[in-house]
Amino acid sequence: MFLARIEGTVVAAAKHPTLDGCRFLAALRLEADGSAALEPLVVVDWLGAARGATVMVSTDGDIARAKLGNTTPARMVVVGIVDAVQTAGAKA
Amino acid sequence: MRLGIVRGHVTLTPAVEAYGGRTLVVVEPVTMENLRANNGLGGGKALIAIDELGAAEGQMVGFTEGREAANPFWPGAVPVDAYCSLIVDSIDVGQ
Repeated sequence: MFLARIEGTVVAAAKHPTLDGCRFLAALRLEADGSAALEPLVVVDWLGAARGATVMVSTDGDIARAKLGNTTPARMVVVGIVDAVQTAGAKA
Repeated sequence: MRLGIVRGHVTLTPAVEAYGGRTLVVVEPVTMENLRANNGLGGGKALIAIDELGAAEGQMVGFTEGREAANPFWPGAVPVDAYCSLIVDSIDVGQ
């Protein structure tokens, strides 16, 4: 799992059939010092994360497969919206 | 999944039987800077993904990597590293 910041929403009409109805968000993975990765990720969200929110993302496809079936290519899922992170000298 | 721009297609002759004539696309991952600039540039290291959605050159796709990339072929055994899961219509990332 890792922390990521939600940057926006992704709209896609053409997608794998198991992904119909999913909410897709663009997110940037965060490092321990709060800096963001260079490449955005697309994550599936069932929790209603808003832009600017810090979330925890799991890259284990098991949750996605449980919800969307064994043939789903969904992998990165928002598993929680972060209230607070305590680290030495860093903020998230 | 990551985001990438389709730059071309790959044809294999011969290929492993498991591919069964499926389409392979060359995808260039997109950086956040280029996504915000909406300049059609990628910036990442190109890779090849299986595409069943019919993505055209220049279109942006979301591609899944890792074991989950092979899930669409479950329970078959197909050697897949990356799979085009969606074709992006629009992304609203503000400025």
